[in-house]
Amino acid sequence: MSTYKVKRRDFLKITGLTGASAALAACDMPTTVTLEEGEEEVVSYLMPEEYVIPGIGVWYASTCQQCDAGCGIIGRVREGRVLKLEGNPVSPINKGALCQIGQAALQVHYNPDRLKQPKLRQEGKLIDVTWDDAFAALKSSIGPDSGLDGSRIAWLTGTVSGHQRVLMDAVSEAVGGASHYAHETLNDTVVDKVNADVYGSANVQYKIADAQSILSFGADFLSTWGSPVHNSVQYGQFRDAPRGVLIQAEPKMTVTGGSADLWLPVRPGTEGTLAMTIAAELVASHGADATKLPKAMADQLGQYSLDSSEAQTGVAASLVKQAANFLATRAPSLVIAGGTAAAHEHGYEAVTAAAMLNVLLGNVGKTIIPVADFPYPALAPKKGDTAQLAAFAKKAKAGDISVALIAGTNPAYTAPDQLDMAAALSAVKVKVAFTEFLDETSSMADIVLPLHSDMESWGTHVASYQVADPMISLQQPLMEPLYAETRSLGDTLLDVLKLYNAEQYGPFADYYAYLRNVVSAVPAVAKEGASDEAYWQAGLQQGMLKVTAPKPFPAAIATAANDDASDALVKSADTMGFVLPVYEKNKDYPLSLIPAASSRLGDGRFANLPWLQEAPDAITKIVWNSWVEMHPATALYYGFKQGDFVEVASAEGSVKAQIYLHKGINKDAVAVPMGQGHTEYGRYATGRGVNPLKMLATTSDVQTGELALCATRVTVVSTGRNEELVKMGGSESQVGRKLVGTITADQLRRV
Amino acid sequence: MSLENILENWSKYRKGHEEGGYHEYEHMWGMAIDLDKCTGCNACSVACYAENNLAVVGEEKFSKGQGMHWLRIERYWDEPDLGEDKVNEYQIHGASFIPMNCQHCNAATCEPVCPVAATYHTPDGLNAQVYNRCIGSRYCSNNCPYRLRYFNFFSYYEDSWPEPLQMQLNPDISVRDKGVMEKCTFCVQRIRTAKDDAARDDRRGPGAVKDGDLKTACQQSCATQAIFFGDLLDKDSAVSKVWEKHEVALGKSSQNKSNPDKRGYRVLEGLNTDPCVMFLERVREV
Repeated sequence: MSTYKVKRRDFLKITGLTGASAALAACDMPTTVTLEEGEEEVVSYLMPEEYVIPGIGVWYASTCQQCDAGCGIIGRVREGRVLKLEGNPVSPINKGALCQIGQAALQVHYNPDRLKQPKLRQEGKLIDVTWDDAFAALKSSIGPDSGLDGSRIAWLTGTVSGHQRVLMDAVSEAVGGASHYAHETLNDTVVDKVNADVYGSANVQYKIADAQSILSFGADFLSTWGSPVHNSVQYGQFRDAPRGVLIQAEPKMTVTGGSADLWLPVRPGTEGTLAMTIAAELVASHGADATKLPKAMADQLGQYSLDSSEAQTGVAASLVKQAANFLATRAPSLVIAGGTAAAHEHGYEAVTAAAMLNVLLGNVGKTIIPVADFPYPALAPKKGDTAQLAAFAKKAKAGDISVALIAGTNPAYTAPDQLDMAAALSAVKVKVAFTEFLDETSSMADIVLPLHSDMESWGTHVASYQVADPMISLQQPLMEPLYAETRSLGDTLLDVLKLYNAEQYGPFADYYAYLRNVVSAVPAVAKEGASDEAYWQAGLQQGMLKVTAPKPFPAAIATAANDDASDALVKSADTMGFVLPVYEKNKDYPLSLIPAASSRLGDGRFANLPWLQEAPDAITKIVWNSWVEMHPATALYYGFKQGDFVEVASAEGSVKAQIYLHKGINKDAVAVPMGQGHTEYGRYATGRGVNPLKMLATTSDVQTGELALCATRVTVVSTGRNEELVKMGGSESQVGRKLVGTITADQLRRV
Repeated sequence: MSLENILENWSKYRKGHEEGGYHEYEHMWGMAIDLDKCTGCNACSVACYAENNLAVVGEEKFSKGQGMHWLRIERYWDEPDLGEDKVNEYQIHGASFIPMNCQHCNAATCEPVCPVAATYHTPDGLNAQVYNRCIGSRYCSNNCPYRLRYFNFFSYYEDSWPEPLQMQLNPDISVRDKGVMEKCTFCVQRIRTAKDDAARDDRRGPGAVKDGDLKTACQQSCATQAIFFGDLLDKDSAVSKVWEKHEVALGKSSQNKSNPDKRGYRVLEGLNTDPCVMFLERVREV
């Protein structure tokens, strides 16, 4: 227990709650807390033993940290152990549901390969040390006495938000201007830029449940894109009567594509052409008003006919006609683009062309709603991408980074070989890894600080995709730490800050004490009359803090008036000189490689969770390994059979895996899933399958500079070996039995 | 039960449930799964692993068909082979997904073949498996037309939960050992808990557990709410209403529907197994 004094203005600054002026205007200190007088007593979190009733499971709310969607969870705690996670029914994000990756968060916590002891590199080897020794090493590297120019320190993280971000930023400032690079292989940098340019805000809400027809270009919104559980909840309603129709255009069938009424096998990189063709068809056959489009685009529509499009995109003209017909006749419609559609040299243009369909169909303000930024910018997510990683690598190789603070990202695994992360990291004198596992990156580190798991940590987070009124998701520990020599990232950040500013941060005994005080600083208006303690308790019970700003929020920036959106479009189209690429054949590397986002292993970070390794892939049903998806016609042409071991080679590298044949992939594409091929990530992941990210060309999206994941061309050669694939189920078809019955929508409407 | 007796009374035995049979059920737990909402995301299956202490067997044993997925998502293609015409050269209608867990048949083909009555029908209408009675003859799994019974060929616990993964195990149910058959129980431990809670409220016997008192782990995790679970004897339960609306009834081997387009059906119903799991057909616009 500690008592301390803190000034209000300083306090607001360190809490990250100095937000947008609108929010600040109503910022009023709570009256029930003595903080206004400058004093408060802080008691560290302890689970009183009398709460534990043997044999009775009690559910506590928290927030899932497996991805940045921020689903609310409840964890069943019995005899001090967390046993089962479920979705939190009161969360507006996931409404009680939880995906397989969220379920498996327990196996991160209880993973047998978790780090239990800090490590320091001595004579080239990582040696177990105590936390105090490891922290002393950190202190001598970045502490006030290190004598280091703060600008030579860099954060390298995944997407971070909430007070974790606030404290990281505070550390950056304290050391004297450290830079922060956030890296995520699967990101929405291109989509966010298009949304900002076209709709006026990078943040848009997709009203899937309100749509009667949805056309998605490459966005696997039910599984690996956006806020998948939220989208799935909405999708369930979308399929209620009157049943909405889903059209998915993508080169390789995803989970979302598997549920599509109409699946369009678009050739990689021609998604923009397909969107323009549908726009032209809407104007030509369905009376859509081309004047809604910016002139630069409207003038080009004449170039896109159904027949010329078929040669480019590989999608039969009859299917394109059908898709346009659905969009025109089933209003309101919704067009989504992202994922593989955005992952090309001209991904920005493709996503813009798709966004244009929303303008043409009058969806802006109805099914696609631009919303304001999060009211507290200091808490908003700092979203990662590969462009930032490339910038880090460049700076590191130039010798301008002496200390790298690495947390929540594994670039030594996810970065293409062309980025040469090994050289970049070697050029950094001291690499500090804040991590729960030794992976490819942390095993290169000089100081390894083992973290509490998400089940052992406090935290606040802001979801990258805000589904409703702005809120801060609250994460609370669901059990006592398993290991004595691990600490939470928040606590460690506070410890670093105390080295620099003992006066400001000293009063906080730990990260919990800090967060508890932050909550006291939330404007009283957001607490809606509740006392500070009641607000905090409600936050713990619900796993979230509502931070409603005084004005109605979110305020849609663009309204139903499509003319406004059109103005924004005109601007963006004119400034970039809208041109779509023409698909070019490549003699040496005839096929396009789709490094497919895995619905089980993500970008590889979940490969050490046995439940997810043994969970069959949704489309191929393969477990525990990698594979190469190929169209049977392509296989026939090259002479491959199912189960053949082949080498998929780009100009930059190659991988070997077995072929799985199916007709859910474009004939000019092959897909290799992300996630496997770890060289260092514990017993479940290491030495298993292959990593397609390594062999990617470093082609970037021209407009944003983000790595174009699907822009690599490859050739496939046989290795002469064939084995049976390890997958669930023997038969690919129902051979006439009625296992999955299907009826047409016409039949459904007759009921 | 002599062979002679079985052969003599076969038809009566197999058709017995249609004539009535056992009537003293306290509950009749049943399910309905809407295949038009199921996206094949697999959340239900992993939720089942977490809830029911399912062993992870590894790649090699999985390749031999020893995966322990009590609830698995099967995926079928409309036409897996190369088509001749231009349109069908792709899977333009997506894939077909179906979650398959024990169908809790009321005329279960697995039950009568068990030499030690380790699998039997409970007064709750559950197809139950008594682990410590099971001698591992595997007759039941041989006889299950859905292939939904899973045998412990090894003592999986020896390496499925290396320290400290075993701390996650659900203490409400056992971990099964070598030589024992296991399968979906409709989360019987959750049913027991709901019954205990009801008893504390002085509700006992038939209908004690009210609709919504419990959710199975798979139903709970499902984002699209494709899974309904409840008591088929409770005419007001959500699951009963789905069965009624889509005109599927227990005790029949074929359903007479007022409208053939109603989506309800039971898998391989014609085999006369009388499953308690009903599916709603997938719908495709074109």
